[in-house]
Amino acid sequence: MAVGHVDVLVGVPTLNNASTVRPVVKAVHQAFSRYFPRDRTVLINSDGGSDDGTPGIVRNASIDDTGTVTVSHSLRTMHRISTPYHGVPGKGNALRQIMTAAELTQARAVAVLNADVTGITPEGVAALVRPVRDQHFDYVAPVYQRHPLEGPLVTQLVRPLMRAAYGWQVREPVAPEFGCSNRFVMHCLEQDVWDSELGRVGIDLWVTAEALAKGFKSCQAGLSPHPATPTRTPFGELFAQVVESAFACLERHAPYWQARNGSEPMLMASPPPSATIEPPAVDGTRLTEAFAKDVESLQSVLESIVSEETLAGLEALAERQPARLRYSDALWVSTVYEFLLAYRSGVMRRDHIVRALAPLYLGRTGSFLRQYATSPEAEVDEALENLCREFERSKADLIQRWNSSR
Amino acid sequence: MAQMIANAIRQAGTNFVESLALFLPRMVTTLAIIAVGWLIAMLLRTIVRAVAGWLRINVAAERFGVAPLLKTADLPPADALLGAIVFWLVWLGFLLSGIDVLGFTSLQGLLASFWAFVPRLLLAVVILIIGFVVANFAWRATLLAAVNGRVPSPRLLSGAVRWLILILTGAMALEQIAVARTVVLTAFAIAFGALSLAVAIAFGIGGGGIAKRILEHQFPEQQRSSADEISHL
Repeated sequence: MAVGHVDVLVGVPTLNNASTVRPVVKAVHQAFSRYFPRDRTVLINSDGGSDDGTPGIVRNASIDDTGTVTVSHSLRTMHRISTPYHGVPGKGNALRQIMTAAELTQARAVAVLNADVTGITPEGVAALVRPVRDQHFDYVAPVYQRHPLEGPLVTQLVRPLMRAAYGWQVREPVAPEFGCSNRFVMHCLEQDVWDSELGRVGIDLWVTAEALAKGFKSCQAGLSPHPATPTRTPFGELFAQVVESAFACLERHAPYWQARNGSEPMLMASPPPSATIEPPAVDGTRLTEAFAKDVESLQSVLESIVSEETLAGLEALAERQPARLRYSDALWVSTVYEFLLAYRSGVMRRDHIVRALAPLYLGRTGSFLRQYATSPEAEVDEALENLCREFERSKADLIQRWNSSR
Repeated sequence: MAQMIANAIRQAGTNFVESLALFLPRMVTTLAIIAVGWLIAMLLRTIVRAVAGWLRINVAAERFGVAPLLKTADLPPADALLGAIVFWLVWLGFLLSGIDVLGFTSLQGLLASFWAFVPRLLLAVVILIIGFVVANFAWRATLLAAVNGRVPSPRLLSGAVRWLILILTGAMALEQIAVARTVVLTAFAIAFGALSLAVAIAFGIGGGGIAKRILEHQFPEQQRSSADEISHL
């Protein structure tokens, strides 16, 4: 089917998402009808070879099957295309196909959604598209309304690390949803990231980092509460993918972030809808149970990665009872930065370096969750802000050691 | 009678002087070859160390886990070790060439044997280096996988993997240089068989519980670890 030029293109990468993709498609259709009735719109489903009928569900989802009364109808034809992509299944190839389609159709505004998140609303789709369509932003990062104790890999590691490095206060740097302009799409397609490991497993993080590092006009937009869906990837794999992607981005963008000082807040184009969010029911102590044993087991690996001072700090921490473990901000920042430096200088295989950080992350996360389990949200937010500042304070030392490590 | 004795002594003296006249140039040549060989070997050692430094061999040795093993074995760093190997091979070659010039019949075949041995020795060294690298890689990969997978006794498991590979490598290297070939092969076969049997018996009879826990950790759908209980993103 010839689509021609479009105004708004929404991409939904899928791989065996039969159980979750229908509400996402509905939300997109409702968004097209309610918020972009005069625009030429298209929904592109880029499928990685699902064997559970996901493409069929996307193709057959009735446009009127919204379950609600729509207050307006689209004045133009809404195109819906489901197409398999070739190559290794992964978000990178799916996103590349969506971006290629956006470039071909010269889409003015593009939004990419996560087929796993059923909580996406038409307003959420519109929130990602509008800043690009109406305010000429090039990149829109989502902000989820969620409890500050949720998503510890983001709050404890990726967010403060990316904020300190890139100098922008992005709340969700590793989000699978985003909005972007045609200019940004064309820029991304020209990069050499797509066939790399970063392109295969870390494309979400790279998109955010690339927008920041290359000076694209960026903002944030609030989305509906982010349901904590259980991930299909085991923790070890997920951790390795995210952290290795973050380290790889920092290596690619070193000239940019070494020139940045401090951090600036990023404009919030639309705030997240207000909602009462319950804190996650997580037992922090369980995460720290194995910390002492892990540090002891990994000692010979850790001594090749971290400094004597940091290793002594970790060993002192490991001597405490799990229930009394307090992994301080300063020690955590030293740990992360020294792992990053070891990754840069390649003291051993890079995936080994990243995997050796996982038990330490669990110790830090468990310590933090237990410390703030009953604290009000504002207090947890303040603690997370302090952590970000600690990362920023130690950045000068990181730069000095980064430049002398090779 | 006295005349005959005098003639014999004179003849012996003449023979000695003639032999000395023949031997001394050879001796000087031998010493010259050894001295020049030493200089060339030193030069090559310096060049090899410089090239190894330029190729960041020490960093690679650190990265592949060879450096800590060298330190444990009280050996010099990788670049110095490489230089030393080249030095001794080259100088030993010159030394034997020099001795060959002396013309001692009992040492005639030594040089040929040495040059026939060098390729096997180099191959054995290469096998050892590869073995060290593979053993260390497997040790670290096993350790990290075991720690992150909550497998019991990760150090014991990873250490066993490392030593198994090192023993296999050592046996292969010794077999290559034909040192006590039969003894090495027999010892290795007995040790490997005994180890496998011990592990099988221990795991099957004494370690049923451990086996169960390990298998449960291998199938996260059946039992999720504490780390999998929360949404990290």
